[in-house]
Amino acid sequence: MVILEFFLVLIGITALGLLYGGIARKWSARIQRRYGPPFYQNFLDVFKLLGKKNTKSHGVMFALGPVIAFTGIILSLFFLPLGNSRPLLSFEGDIFVLFYLLVIAPLGMALGAGEAANPNATIGIARGLTLMLGYELIFFLSAIAVMVKFNTASLWKIVEIQGTFPKWNLFPFFLSAFAGLIALQGMMGEKPFDLIVAPHEIASGPMVEYNGKYLGLLQLYHAIAIVVETGLFVNVFLGGGSILTFILKTFFVFMLAVTIDNIMPRFRIGQAVKFYWKYPLIISLLGILVVFIWR
Amino acid sequence: MERIEHFEYFIGPQHPGVTGNMSYHLWARGDEIVKIVSSVGYLHRGFEKLMEYRFWIQNVPMVPRICVPEPDVNEILYAMGVERLAGLEVPERAQYIRVLVLELARLSAYLFYFAGVAGALGLYTIPQWAIGDRDYILDLFEELTGGRVYHIFITPGGVRRDLPPGFKEKVRKVLKHLKDRLSDYDRLYFDNALFIKRTKGVAVMTKEYALEMGVTGPNLRATGFRYDVRRGDPYLVYPKLEFDIPVTGGGDNYSRVMQRRLEFEESIRIIEQVLDMMPEGPVITKLPNPFRWKIEKNDVYVRVESSKGEFGYYVVSDGSEKPRRIHVRGPSYTHGIQVAQEMAVGLRIADVPVFLFSMDVCPPDIER
Repeated sequence: MVILEFFLVLIGITALGLLYGGIARKWSARIQRRYGPPFYQNFLDVFKLLGKKNTKSHGVMFALGPVIAFTGIILSLFFLPLGNSRPLLSFEGDIFVLFYLLVIAPLGMALGAGEAANPNATIGIARGLTLMLGYELIFFLSAIAVMVKFNTASLWKIVEIQGTFPKWNLFPFFLSAFAGLIALQGMMGEKPFDLIVAPHEIASGPMVEYNGKYLGLLQLYHAIAIVVETGLFVNVFLGGGSILTFILKTFFVFMLAVTIDNIMPRFRIGQAVKFYWKYPLIISLLGILVVFIWR
Repeated sequence: MERIEHFEYFIGPQHPGVTGNMSYHLWARGDEIVKIVSSVGYLHRGFEKLMEYRFWIQNVPMVPRICVPEPDVNEILYAMGVERLAGLEVPERAQYIRVLVLELARLSAYLFYFAGVAGALGLYTIPQWAIGDRDYILDLFEELTGGRVYHIFITPGGVRRDLPPGFKEKVRKVLKHLKDRLSDYDRLYFDNALFIKRTKGVAVMTKEYALEMGVTGPNLRATGFRYDVRRGDPYLVYPKLEFDIPVTGGGDNYSRVMQRRLEFEESIRIIEQVLDMMPEGPVITKLPNPFRWKIEKNDVYVRVESSKGEFGYYVVSDGSEKPRRIHVRGPSYTHGIQVAQEMAVGLRIADVPVFLFSMDVCPPDIER
């Protein structure tokens, strides 16, 4: 029964992520004054890629990389509350597990792309892992403010205690939420923090050697990651509610990120990490300080 | 285990980090470039030699291919070279139409440039906007000349045909659109704090270095040196027109972009004056029979200000019906090879494409 439920969640979230991606492409197109592809374009892309043969592999790890990334992200679905529906697994401390699982995917990408030995991929990986030092810290600090206040490290409990609309954590924890939103931009790899892919600089970075099924798997990973990452933010700061409100909230958060993505150039890697360790760090630490005073 | 000192990577010829068919071979230590070598040869078509086998008039359709983003400078240079050798008089209306075409081409080249730099910075909205706005200019070209990119419009003796009815109003409408859009570009692009943060103080070129290396055009003016062929060695009707030569100074990526941004407005100003001042009259002089058109033995160097710098043609005639030698002096050879190879050393990996785009290198004109 649990397995069936999990597969339903997996398929639903994947479809949702692909749909979000498609709508984001349309939305970006409208900002850029063009027509844009249809909203279901991402489904077509993934089906096409999954139906293709792989012409060249660079070794075992190259093939395993996308699989590790995909595994990491689908495992995180076990711990993600979807609105008021209890996640398949929840226990005290599951938020740490979720953070840990979110790191598996970039590491899988790093292992796989590293095997290809393309310098563009290597630079992309180095950038990705460096950037992680920035956003992981900030996101974690902003979540810690909530954890300290609610005296729990379970994502499900945070959602449960928080309740619905007027009691959203966004309002009392607006400093932490703001810092978390900036961290989320980096976590999702949207501009100004998209230096992992950076087409003009390193020709799409870690993805550069991938084709066919592997690329399809990576796109699926990306689609699920959109929902998981925005979902994490929504669960911590934007309260519970029905699954429908969860979808609406994640969609709104993602669209905000996409809009910022369209109006910003990208940072240099040094600038990005320096930026994270300056303003968002101060804001998130202030958020924690506020909680300690408020207690 | 072998210690890796640096790693090599390429940008181009199939890479969004460089325009057109050329590549750069880079050696990086960490995030810093230690060596860069340009690699050309993907696009050599031998135009200079081909021109020696064709009648004077037959070269007209070939010259625009020398620079794809701004082909019209090649047409005007070839036409001016032949006119000076043959002693042809160009009607005044034709000269105004030539200035109109050249300045419209400059606008479209600058829009291309804005798109390139913004793309290298990752601000992908600007390329879409700029290419879209450039299309309005291409529509004008299509109506005037029949071609969107290669116009083959300016021939020795004048221009091929007169303005179509209602064309001036259409140009005014496009200019108004571009002026309106410029404020949007300012807000999203030129005043964007992150754009300034990424470009200011990066790849600084001093005035002395620029003069020593023979850097011309907006790249030279961005270092603070006021020089423009349109004023220094006037051609066509530019002396009759009022326009400023803006100078930014600073010599970094930011100044190079802002230099074009300021010149964009000046070009709009020039076109508006041209539309007002254009006299009536013929647009082309009578040319001799092209198969028996011999030009007496002489040589001439002509130059114009293109969007990329000083463009020059050295045209030699040996008294026959074909040119003896035509040498093309393009600004991209200097900017894309010598200067790029020296200045990109020490940059960060992320800044290399921005620097290369900010130099506005046009590979077809390096190789001809």
